[in-house]
Amino acid sequence: MQSVEAQTGYFPGFLRQLFSAAGLTLLATITVAIATFVIAGPFVLVNAIVTGGMWALMAAGLSLVFGVMNIVNFAHGEFFMVGTLVAYFVFTPLSEYLKANPSPLLAAVAPFAGILAALVVGAVLGVVIEKLVFLQLRKRTKEQWIMNSFLLTVGLSVILINGVQIVWGPDFKGITRYWDVPPIDVFGVTVSVDRAVVFILAMVTMGLFWFFLRRTRTGRAIRAVSQDETGALMMGIDMNRIQVLTLALSSALAALAGASLLFMFPSYPTVGLKPLYIAWYVVILVGMGNVAGALVGGFIVALLQTMTSYFIGPGWEDVIPTAFVMLILLVRPSGLFGSEVKGIHER
Amino acid sequence: MAQETETARTKSLPIRERSRMSGWERAQNRLGVSRLGMLFIVLLAIIPFVPPFSREDLLRWLIGATLIAAQAIAFDFTTGYINVVNFGFAAFLGVGAYTSALLAVQLGVSPWIGTFLGAVPAAILGFFTGILTLRLRGIFAALMSWFVGLALLGIARNWVELTRGPLGLNTPTFLETASNRPYFYIIFVMLIVTYVVLRWISRSQIGLAFKAIGQNIDAARASGVNPTFYRVLNFTVQCAFAGWLGGFYAHYYGILTPQLMATSHTVEILAIAYIGGRGSIWGGAFIAFPFIFLIEWLRSNLTEMPGLHLVIYGVLLILVMIFYPGGVAQFYEYIKGLVGKRRGEQAVAPTA
Repeated sequence: MQSVEAQTGYFPGFLRQLFSAAGLTLLATITVAIATFVIAGPFVLVNAIVTGGMWALMAAGLSLVFGVMNIVNFAHGEFFMVGTLVAYFVFTPLSEYLKANPSPLLAAVAPFAGILAALVVGAVLGVVIEKLVFLQLRKRTKEQWIMNSFLLTVGLSVILINGVQIVWGPDFKGITRYWDVPPIDVFGVTVSVDRAVVFILAMVTMGLFWFFLRRTRTGRAIRAVSQDETGALMMGIDMNRIQVLTLALSSALAALAGASLLFMFPSYPTVGLKPLYIAWYVVILVGMGNVAGALVGGFIVALLQTMTSYFIGPGWEDVIPTAFVMLILLVRPSGLFGSEVKGIHER
Repeated sequence: MAQETETARTKSLPIRERSRMSGWERAQNRLGVSRLGMLFIVLLAIIPFVPPFSREDLLRWLIGATLIAAQAIAFDFTTGYINVVNFGFAAFLGVGAYTSALLAVQLGVSPWIGTFLGAVPAAILGFFTGILTLRLRGIFAALMSWFVGLALLGIARNWVELTRGPLGLNTPTFLETASNRPYFYIIFVMLIVTYVVLRWISRSQIGLAFKAIGQNIDAARASGVNPTFYRVLNFTVQCAFAGWLGGFYAHYYGILTPQLMATSHTVEILAIAYIGGRGSIWGGAFIAFPFIFLIEWLRSNLTEMPGLHLVIYGVLLILVMIFYPGGVAQFYEYIKGLVGKRRGEQAVAPTA
């Protein structure tokens, strides 16, 4: 995963790593983060860290689907939206029930029920879509697969957005907070419990995901398929199973991100658009198929956004990161961290 | 009519053959319109006077459909030829619309001139988008143009002093009349011009180069086609037309919001162009008419289900992509093949 410059540079060891594009970006990010902390106050940084973790989850799923199935998933944001919706419909009745008969244990567990339900629904949705849509196309033709499957996901996105709008209406369905407890104090900064838990959840999920891909047999099979499909097939890997699993995993992660951020992103039909393109920014920033990089990229993009929104004004937080990502694509088409996965070139 | 001219007309013709054709046929060949296409155009020209369609509300649908048809042609010019989906298409449309509208509002430029001037910044932006996407292949170029579109949409939304943002910009209309019929003829002429110009380009040597790049960029480069030049050219031309059509949008509807530039609008055009058949130029333009009428009918009859028409777009897009990737254009070729077979060696209708 090292870039060419890193291997041929004059600097030894860690210095070489430091002066690669990735290293420089990391340094710049940390500097900017500290500067933001000093100038704008800790709240901006906390926001960036909390959302950054979840963007990393979105990006990891997106990049996995691209690496394994060669699908550029335009409907990824809709899984996020489904996640918010499920969490809302599970959590709201529970909190109503809690108001009637309070119970501290249930109050602590109820949000997790919502998030878990979103995870399961997301996974099921992924399986259904793979079986109903992508499998059908794959059976018929593999010609221009990337473009065709991309257009399928565009269709899926439209169907999911407007289907949800028809059934549940276009209004905002949100909650103010998951845990009704006073905020906690972290190094002198007040952080609401929701944000803290969401951050921990993102980190734990990311860790589990990484462990799954690296250390388990199925995870290794998934990575094998993303590296060389034919070779994986010859090793007796069941391709259909891997593909179903990949899409289910990716959509479950997106739904989890949606459910966890319900208190920041109330559920409405087009809520997924923003997370979708943020996830794309992250993936392009760090390159395809780079799960660990997605974590860093998630924080970079989130920081960029909160900073833009703080210094330039709300509303511009989409324009500036877009320009930034376009610049990156221009200079380094394979992403900052330069991992060139085969899927990048159309076959 | 001699039989050999009939069959030969389907291909590009040598001069010798061309001299044998009548003046009318030569004109048809030059415009790239078949007899069936001519019939369709004539039908379209008289339809605003045919009773059910002469109603003002149906005329509005007709104008909407014609506008979509022209956009689908411009969209297919890039998608079907160089095989790059310009996912920011609607944004370029919006650039043209906003330029023309702002020129009219701020400087008092006549909409008739402003519409053409609107094509200029759209073309320039298209030129730069073409350069931006050069190093990227297929899908990454699509993503890049999407990002450009998102950035433009963001600017239109947030630059409130200029565009009034989501409040919408009131724009002067082309004419003072309340009737829709003159507007139909404006967009009708624009549709014909768009079709003839883009069809002409795509049938020329340039179009051949576009197709070569779209199919295999490396092979095209190896055989001496300069992908840089042709891709940028394609983007510039497409965006110029998008901007021009955007000008009509601004001065017909009289109100302009950034929503015009949203991705969902691009998806609408994309679905129509694909259902019509990519790489055919005419497919999307043809299917737009029955399709938009169906959609508008659904929309006016099922008001309690907003967004249903978009679900239909999505479902149809998926079904076409999976089961019939050639779209309506391929179906037409199939029918033509059947007719041709039955008539043996007899004449077949030329491609539209």
